[in-house]
Amino acid sequence: MSAKVYTTLVIGAGFTGLGTAIKLREAGIEDLVILERADRVGGTWRDATYPGAACDIPSQLYSFSFAKNPGWSRTYSPSAEIHAHITELAERFDLVKDIRFNTEVTKMRFDKREARWEVSAGRRTFHARTVVVASGPLSDASLPKIRGIDDFEGARILSARWDNDYDFAGKSVAVIGTGASAVQIIPELVKVAGSVKVFQRTPGWVMPRVDLVTPEAVKQVFERLPIAQQAARTALFVAHEAAATGLVWNTPITSVIQQAGKLHIRMTVKDKWLRRQLTPDFRAGCKRMLMSSDYYPALQAENCKLITWPIAKITPRGLQTCDALQHEVDAIVFATGYDVHLDGPPYPITGLDGQVLGEEWSGHPQAYKSASAHGYPNLFFTCGPNSGPGHNSLLVYVQGQIDYAVAGIRTIVEQDLRWLDVKKDVQDAYNASIQRRLRSTTWMSGCSSWYLTADGFNASMYPGFATQYLRQMQDFRIRDYEVASNAAVRLWNIPRDLAAV
Amino acid sequence: MAMDMDEMLQKIKDRQWALADIDWDAPGVETISEDFKPKLKAFMADLCWIENVGARGFAAMAKKAPTPTIAEIYRYFHAEEQRHANAELALMKRWGMLEGDEIPEPSVNIRMAIEWLDTYADDMPLSVLGTVIPMLEVALDGALLKFLLEEVHDPVCHQVFEKINNDESRHIAVDFEVLDLIGHARARKLAIDFVSNVASPGLIIGALMYVPLLNRMRNNLVEMGLEPEKLYAAMNRFEKLGRRGEFTHRVPLFQVLRVHSKMVVNSEHPYHLLANSMVKLSEYYPKALFRPIPTWFKELTYEPVTTGVKKGMNAA
Ligand SMILES: Cc1cc2nc3c(=O)[nH]c(=O)nc-3n(C[C@H](O)[C@H](O)[C@H](O)COP(=O)(O)OP(=O)(O)OC[C@H]3O[C@@H](n4cnc5c(N)ncnc54)[C@H](O)[C@@H]3O)c2cc1C
Ligand SMILES: [Fe+2]
Ligand SMILES: [Fe+2]
Repeated sequence: MSAKVYTTLVIGAGFTGLGTAIKLREAGIEDLVILERADRVGGTWRDATYPGAACDIPSQLYSFSFAKNPGWSRTYSPSAEIHAHITELAERFDLVKDIRFNTEVTKMRFDKREARWEVSAGRRTFHARTVVVASGPLSDASLPKIRGIDDFEGARILSARWDNDYDFAGKSVAVIGTGASAVQIIPELVKVAGSVKVFQRTPGWVMPRVDLVTPEAVKQVFERLPIAQQAARTALFVAHEAAATGLVWNTPITSVIQQAGKLHIRMTVKDKWLRRQLTPDFRAGCKRMLMSSDYYPALQAENCKLITWPIAKITPRGLQTCDALQHEVDAIVFATGYDVHLDGPPYPITGLDGQVLGEEWSGHPQAYKSASAHGYPNLFFTCGPNSGPGHNSLLVYVQGQIDYAVAGIRTIVEQDLRWLDVKKDVQDAYNASIQRRLRSTTWMSGCSSWYLTADGFNASMYPGFATQYLRQMQDFRIRDYEVASNAAVRLWNIPRDLAAV
Repeated sequence: MAMDMDEMLQKIKDRQWALADIDWDAPGVETISEDFKPKLKAFMADLCWIENVGARGFAAMAKKAPTPTIAEIYRYFHAEEQRHANAELALMKRWGMLEGDEIPEPSVNIRMAIEWLDTYADDMPLSVLGTVIPMLEVALDGALLKFLLEEVHDPVCHQVFEKINNDESRHIAVDFEVLDLIGHARARKLAIDFVSNVASPGLIIGALMYVPLLNRMRNNLVEMGLEPEKLYAAMNRFEKLGRRGEFTHRVPLFQVLRVHSKMVVNSEHPYHLLANSMVKLSEYYPKALFRPIPTWFKELTYEPVTTGVKKGMNAA
């Protein structure tokens, strides 16, 4: 393989990977490559093509501040429009030339002698001084392990990998799951399918979503007067930050939010038993909040029914519930979410001394400021451990991570460092404080969610305001890192692996 | 004696069965004589609704469960009681006791139980629900099933009740384990739960509903030629199983139910005068006062397989 060594290699061409490339270029780092396993940019929004797919954070907040879109058509833009925006970003910033499509990273290891990462994608190998992991928090999905799932003879459709060729018209459909994707899919399916049976395990808190068409005049104002759009964005940001007082921390505000959720049920659901079935029994915020105004009405449509009996198994013709009935269906939609990689990326990452990240993170992943992990130098995570918001746009957080990675990479380049490796004690102290702060959050109030590992450890969410998070991410401190410098190697001609100071 | 609840949950998941597993047209219907049918029908109807009442009880328990695993177990038990009701309805269908889409009318006492459950069950503490449910399970479920197996010789009926009994043995094991767990709680907490609920309309009305319900079942059984001793033996089991627990005796409501069951068991006890007049009285309870039957009550069905969505009565 050629000896080309990139300054930075970015894994993934979704919002985050592209945003990273834009900011790196802005910082004067042009020598970069982006590896993307698919054949197009877009990530989440390229893959989420199920009916009703849309963001559930207002579009104004769901874009980067350095690459806004004045033209959002609605309050909550549909998936295709977000995908178009990402595609447009790639073109506007001339990123496509740096992307290697159909290139899936399968493993990577740090080469201590050469002080660079060796990234394998199948049979190809890439070298880079620094790597930014932007392969997405929710980019993999698979069928759930339900008894008998392989026996089913009808169509099995995974929400995350929607089969747009399947015609639902007039079909009997089962939907398994009532999470974020399900509340978007069900209202659309009810419109076309013959019947829809919704199998629910735990109901979530659903807030009404006021989704309006953006008037043409507003788009034009945003287009010509960017400051007006910034003002709208700031207002939304502040409103979402305020929600943290109830959604992040378990407080009386949390109860107020629950009251609003209950009121939503009372106003839109007629039957008392159905209301009971739909009322969550965990603290609001503990699991992801759901946003929909058409989910409850859809469940009450003539051709839709909510079933809360546990599923005993899947049979060749449908599903069997524990009340002894069999439900025959033509298709089963698995709205069962994503494979959340709490243990780090699914491809093996080997560090400075041969240690493997997945093993070290198994059960209790830890990073410093969600971005650096001790023993894995020159590597920057996005959407890393304890970086998730419960109340605000993920992209706001991602933007902080991008700034942090760019600051680190600039330091390496400008100071001509072999590597930067976060100090163990700094990382430990940071995590001790995060875990302490997590105790009073809604996520730890007793529900089981995909935020937590099997033993209830929270390695996914950030316990604080977005503002706090951004402040820490804007403060890159080299003293937090062990530094190995090239200058030392050259000056004293010392063995390279002893060059750490 | 601590039971591994995760293991129990796994066992429950492994032992699921469906109406479709049973051949409802197999021979044996002829074993039910024509003159026995009306009595059997009334009996089955009550039994089937009692399962449904138990189901609703478990739904309430699921919200109070001391651990997530036990909550999940109750979620399964809720469905399993519904399964029993569905299976019993399917037997009635097999025996030609249901015309067309007919679903048997719940008796007044059952309807009272339904109203009580719908109004109060979700607000009752675990220490109350966790004591009443085991009683219902051993006394009603237990005794009635035993009786049925003695009096009815239809092999399909035996096949069904073997499955139901297997489920019930797991229910009862968990019931009494949890009852013991409740007894573990600090005496102060038990006393507060008890005192505050004894005085509550919920428990008083609950007792007013439970007493005639039980005696009505007893009378039905006697009328069908069963010695009431069978029922009493089952009720004594409540005490026996409770005594096995290390802490169960500390639960005040357990003691009340225990003493109460002693009165029921003694057919000479003046208690029966009271209870039977309550049965009679309840017959005069103006039907118009009942609120509409809650929709969870209408989910019963004898159809093993459903396609599409049907709303309303015996929807699937
Ligand atoms: C249905 C859905 C709705 C959402 N709605 C919202 C919302 O409303 N608000 C919000 O804040 N967040 C939302 N999210 C979270 C969303 O994932 C993030 O906001 C954002 O899209 C993440 O962007 P990303 O670039 O980090 O990851 P992704 O968009 O997942 O992009 C990662 C890219 O990396 C590629 N990749 C993965 N593995 C490899 C590999 N091994 N080698 C090479 N390439 C690889 C993938 O193909 C993909 O293109 C939603 C997520 C989903 C799934
Ligand atoms: Fe039962
Ligand atoms: Fe039972």
